[in-house]
Amino acid sequence: MSKALKYLIPTMVMMMVFTACTDLAVKELDSKIIESTSGAFSGVDPAAALKSAYGDVRQFGDQANMYAMLEVASDELLVPTRGTDWGDNGVWRLLHTHDWDATHPYILNTWNNLNANGFRLNQLLAPESKASAQQLAEGKFLRAWNSFYIMDFWRQIPQRGVNDEASKAPEVLTGQAAFDFIIGDLESALTDLPTRTAGAASNVKDSPFASKAAARFLLAKMYLNKHIYLKSTPQAADMTKVIGYVDAIKADGFTLQSGYFEIFEKTDDSETIFWTDAGVGNRIWNGMHYKMFADGKDSGKDGGWNGFSTTADFYALFEGSAANNHPGAGQEERRGFVPNAPTTNGTGIGFGFLVGQQYNKAGEPLKDRAGAPLVLTKDFPGLAGNNERTGIRVIKYNPGNDNAFTSHQVLFRYADAHLMKIEAILRGGTSGDAAQTLFDELRTIRNASSKTVSLEEVFNERGRELYIEGWRRNDQVRFGKYSTPYGFKTNTDAYRDVYPIPASAISSNPNLKQNEGY
Amino acid sequence: MTKLYLFIRRYLSVFLLFGALAGFAQGKSVSGTVTSSDDGSGVPGVNILEKGTSNGTVSDASGNYIITVGDNATLVYSFVGYATQEVPVGSQGTVNVTLQLDVTALNEVVVIGYGEVQKKDATGAISSVKAADFNRGVIASPEMLIQGRTAGVNVTSANGEPGGGVSIKIRGTSSVRGGSNPLFVVDGVALAGDDISSGGADLGRGTSAPRNPLNFLNPSDIESIDVLKDASATAIYGSRGANGVVLIKTKSGKGLAKQLTFNSDFNVSNQAKYYDLLERDAFLKGVADRGGDPVAQDFGGNTDWQKEITRTAFSQKYDLGYSNSYKGGSYRASFGYNDQQGVIKQSGLQKITGRFNINQSFLGDKLKTSAQITLARLNDNYAPISDNAGFEGDLLGGAYTANPTWKNDPDVQPNNSNVNPLSLLKFHVDRAKTNRSLINLSADYDITKDLNFRVNYGRDRTESERRSALSPELFMTNGVTDNGRASLNDIKSSSDLLEAFFNYKKDIGANSKFSALLGYSYQLFHREGSNTQGWGFAGPTTISMDQQIDHLEASRNSIVETVLDATNDYQVIGVDSDIFFRGELFPTPKLTTVSGKPSSRVRSVVIEKFEQEDELQSFFGRLNYSYADKYLLTATFRADGSTKFGGDNQYGYFPSVAAAWRLSDEGFVPDAFDDLKLRVGYGVTGNQEIPHNLYTSRQRYDYGTNARIDGGGNVNPPGLNNVAFANPGLKWEQTAQFNVGLDFSFIEGKLSGTVDYYNKNTTDLLIQVNSAQPAPQPFQWQNLPANVINKGLEFTLNYTAIDKESSGLKFNFNMSFNDNTVKNFDGVVDTGGINGQGLSGAFAQRIQSGQPLYAYFLRDWTGYDANGNNTYNGGDIQKFLGKGPLPKQYFGFSINYRYKNWDAMAFFTGQMGHYIYNNTQNAYFTSGSLGNARNVTTDVIGSGESNVNAPDVSTRFLQKGDFVRFQNFNIGYNFKLSNKAIKNLYLSAGGQNLFVITQYDGLDPEVNTNKALNNVPSLGIDYSSYPRARTFSLGLRATF
Repeated sequence: MSKALKYLIPTMVMMMVFTACTDLAVKELDSKIIESTSGAFSGVDPAAALKSAYGDVRQFGDQANMYAMLEVASDELLVPTRGTDWGDNGVWRLLHTHDWDATHPYILNTWNNLNANGFRLNQLLAPESKASAQQLAEGKFLRAWNSFYIMDFWRQIPQRGVNDEASKAPEVLTGQAAFDFIIGDLESALTDLPTRTAGAASNVKDSPFASKAAARFLLAKMYLNKHIYLKSTPQAADMTKVIGYVDAIKADGFTLQSGYFEIFEKTDDSETIFWTDAGVGNRIWNGMHYKMFADGKDSGKDGGWNGFSTTADFYALFEGSAANNHPGAGQEERRGFVPNAPTTNGTGIGFGFLVGQQYNKAGEPLKDRAGAPLVLTKDFPGLAGNNERTGIRVIKYNPGNDNAFTSHQVLFRYADAHLMKIEAILRGGTSGDAAQTLFDELRTIRNASSKTVSLEEVFNERGRELYIEGWRRNDQVRFGKYSTPYGFKTNTDAYRDVYPIPASAISSNPNLKQNEGY
Repeated sequence: MTKLYLFIRRYLSVFLLFGALAGFAQGKSVSGTVTSSDDGSGVPGVNILEKGTSNGTVSDASGNYIITVGDNATLVYSFVGYATQEVPVGSQGTVNVTLQLDVTALNEVVVIGYGEVQKKDATGAISSVKAADFNRGVIASPEMLIQGRTAGVNVTSANGEPGGGVSIKIRGTSSVRGGSNPLFVVDGVALAGDDISSGGADLGRGTSAPRNPLNFLNPSDIESIDVLKDASATAIYGSRGANGVVLIKTKSGKGLAKQLTFNSDFNVSNQAKYYDLLERDAFLKGVADRGGDPVAQDFGGNTDWQKEITRTAFSQKYDLGYSNSYKGGSYRASFGYNDQQGVIKQSGLQKITGRFNINQSFLGDKLKTSAQITLARLNDNYAPISDNAGFEGDLLGGAYTANPTWKNDPDVQPNNSNVNPLSLLKFHVDRAKTNRSLINLSADYDITKDLNFRVNYGRDRTESERRSALSPELFMTNGVTDNGRASLNDIKSSSDLLEAFFNYKKDIGANSKFSALLGYSYQLFHREGSNTQGWGFAGPTTISMDQQIDHLEASRNSIVETVLDATNDYQVIGVDSDIFFRGELFPTPKLTTVSGKPSSRVRSVVIEKFEQEDELQSFFGRLNYSYADKYLLTATFRADGSTKFGGDNQYGYFPSVAAAWRLSDEGFVPDAFDDLKLRVGYGVTGNQEIPHNLYTSRQRYDYGTNARIDGGGNVNPPGLNNVAFANPGLKWEQTAQFNVGLDFSFIEGKLSGTVDYYNKNTTDLLIQVNSAQPAPQPFQWQNLPANVINKGLEFTLNYTAIDKESSGLKFNFNMSFNDNTVKNFDGVVDTGGINGQGLSGAFAQRIQSGQPLYAYFLRDWTGYDANGNNTYNGGDIQKFLGKGPLPKQYFGFSINYRYKNWDAMAFFTGQMGHYIYNNTQNAYFTSGSLGNARNVTTDVIGSGESNVNAPDVSTRFLQKGDFVRFQNFNIGYNFKLSNKAIKNLYLSAGGQNLFVITQYDGLDPEVNTNKALNNVPSLGIDYSSYPRARTFSLGLRATF
């Protein structure tokens, strides 16, 4: 064979090989690249983004994560482990006993959810998205709603711009800067937010929306808690601001309404300032015993999940005999009742605090799954080791109201604003109204006896009025009660007023500093 | 048989023609016969080379050869297994040669990356296992052939499922994501690491792991498996070498003249161990003692549900191989059929393989070509068993917890969240069909006598279809009852490999030898497929589950037809009673409501399509230098470019260097040593087994989370979801490994062995972590700023106690020690999700600095208090307890004995120093579970546990995993037949998994259920795993 041929073959093959050399440009065949060639953010559809941001508020409706951090860590609720049920790796017990650490999954999930919502709102608020003035105002209100909880839980608010790379560590706002960031969003939102008038049918027909009243409500919350967030003492000027915001809400027509449990029906009322279209099912089934709806009006459907209960001490805050909560047992309106006769709404499920023997829709006593009478007890043998029947169940939304899956959950309501005003006056704010008068006004409309107003009584009254609405932890911290022993909690660590930054968040962002004590 | 023989001969005559093309040169003709010193018979396929030239030939079927040589020629006769011989031709016209069997293993050839090397010249840590030493019995995939046979290689099958997943960890575990198996290279073709068949859809009882992608190889076709363990050996595979490389070489026809072999195995398997569950009376008493109503729970039967779902499984395997070699070439063709039943009813694996290897030389042996072709068809049958069923259980969990008083009748179904296991079997089908072809073509050309050029083309194609259905007649949640569900999961994957490289060899002076390799490689991976779910099959007439699948397939095709037009494609489609939508991505993502419901016999359908492509381009080189055959030096380098990474990190660079010193050739080492070699090596290798493109912000329509069919048959239109976030900094995971080893052999080779120490440091670990918030998605892939250190020691000892004509006794022992630690990591990552009632969010393992990977993170359980509730040392919190799932030691021990025509083999294997988390017990075998009228193991009665005690994740369910398994036993008789038609007949009987010595309470301590959390894998957790079988086999091997 000729020498030329000898070299030719491999040379040709090698050439073929090298023409196959590639620049390794990746091809996307089933996903869409969303950055422009320069990598810059090119905007989102503002209407769609706003809709999904309202959707993100629904996370409040779940019983885990955010709601658990707000309520199960307070003295209002506990989730006892019942045999093989509700152990869930101790997440509920750790919240109740204040023994959580930086790896608690609900703390991590909530951190991720609230911050991710904030980032999506940054995208909406970025100039590239070309949102209208009202869309911007609503976006800012919603960003403030998310930031408020981040502030309340952790006191540190990380920030990421829409064009920041994944590798960039978000900057972190703390203290005054974090406070000002939220106030800034709310104040600038006020201008272009619509005014919502209490009682208008359109308020519940449409999706929930932010209003001037909602922004003022959150501003009042911010100033009322300012001294907690900034570790100082209550300032009279801040308290006067709280009073001013509540008065402005009242000027839009919001006022106290009689008929306590009707506030939680879907029909509009004069108290609801801001709500979410989260289903109320979790609020109902959390606590109900398995048998409590199975033979109710939706016979054949699954009953409750038999989890959440309240502490005996919290139940004792209400007026009335502790022995039973049947209609006419002398209890105050807000403690609700356990029907022991057929009910008009056909569920057999009562309102408020469910204690003692429970009944079906025909008024017949219920039994538990093993056949014992379904008598709900005030006391528990412990956080674990519970049978199906321990614990008083708490219910504000009733499956008899509409149906179990009504998408209407109250987030801000006027009675809370009213109580904030009383508290602000007692903490040194200036108002033309007297705290006692306002206090009497609320207790009268709730058909409760009159009491002398004091900060201690305001704290108790907030519990009686706003139980399981997500405010108890915030109130307990502000009134210095969160680090006292209650229920099965003996832990008195004051640093637990603030949650730990999740461990994986700390390792993902060096700008975050772990909160003191953790 | 004769017919087949003739057929094969005729068919192959085409290839034989190539033999005639061999060139010839001028000179003098020499002929002769090559015989074996063993039995005096002719040896075919011997390489005969004129020394110092590239002129050569190969002996024919009878060992005869003819070659034309120049003056003063010396002929070199070489053949695997025989000592190479050189004979000066002088004036002879006939040269007959008797080759001596090579008694030492030193001349044994080991396969390395892009070549082969004699064992004595190897500088890296390589374990080689030949076919004779493979494990026997029911074996579905090649890794199981070497389980326990090599030090430093820990092969664990996840469970006892036929063809189920196998994890192979070489020198410890260093990765925190899926894809930590080594690279498999079959006859030079590096395989993609992806699964080739679907894991199946979740129809309501969890998801399961796909079967082993290597099942397509017929173990009978494999000649040797070589495992490259240290970085100096694997660095030539660069970015894919960090977990080690397993080189599989298939049998060729070399040296086998007109040989027809027939093998057959027949196996009988039974489940090796059962849980000791309560029988009816004890169950009813247990329920009553826990406040339940025994009358309400008594359905009159007395059923052993474990027995109801299991069977005696029969497996059969037939292999037919024909080999021939002749002047200038050889070939081997084989056909295999294997039907393996699983011990769980409905599960099984049927495998049909065909393989053809041909080698052919041209141009006087200057051009050597070869082709290796594998065709395989796999028919998988699945039982409804998953990795993550809730407390209702999958088939196994259901059988463990089923009320023993239920009748063993699939048509009597309890109105309960728990399903009658027999109903689940009856109203369920799940099958997959997979076709795979692997073709490798190569040509090798000697440009000069020193320089050789080689080109390889490899093509791997797979098409897999998985079809499953649940009948509307099954009483089950998730909307199955009265509606039925079905799913179709199709995957097509392919890889195309093109490689070209130069080999240069030169003797410089008397003592120095130099060789070099330089090459280029390009591989294209393509993967596409679709997933379809259907709901609502009940109609006026009952249809079979096969019809359900047919209807879904027809509906899918007609729906796709409806939405596809000239301009529009789709990524996701959904149809239910209210809506019909199509989500498309290109040119702009758009979710469109399609008008007019398509005609569909299935009420709700969701269809998703996926397609991905990745490329890998590499440049590699190797230099070898040896001086006086005593001092050996190897250096390799590979640059890998991959589309798995973007920006500046697209290329990774992987160097290595190794040296060896043959001490036995030095004067100061006593002559008693036949071999003594010290090896030292260091290298850097990489890992890129992460999902496609994680560095560009991309979106697609969500499938599975949102675009699914809920229990009411509703489909929610999905939103655009982020699948990746801009992350141009993402880079290669790197492992630097140092290795020092000693190979030794003395007392005339009777005692030989290897000792190796290694230290592996893995950095920039690729992992899915929580995004730094605020971020658009909770997770992103990152290089973890941490080190995972694996260090260990490996021993191999081989001792030949008797080596006589009439008898022989050999012992082989290997043992490995490995220590694993995570360092310099300032975060925590949880994994090991635990399933069961009241265990939402429960996990058992945490990755944290200072701990071994996957260390257990549990409550420290100390027993029950007076009320029967848990007590914990240190309180109700999870903590590290110094216990992990990684075995600290593992070993294999075999004894081979032969006496006259008899031979016997026994093989033991074991693992020590690790713990297993028994999620099965955690989820099912508690007092509370019995209180809820679910069956439990007998030890629950009298355990002192209250029925209201919470079975939280704790050391209560953690047990030592140490075990010793009598893995293989085989006894055989070799008939020396005078009958010429059958040259050799060998009959054998044996057993597999004869017994296990362990303290573990579960079914088997060799277990690994996939309990990954957020894509971080787990290890060593047992959750109603497919039970392992004990197998007895009869085998026949005949050579014609």
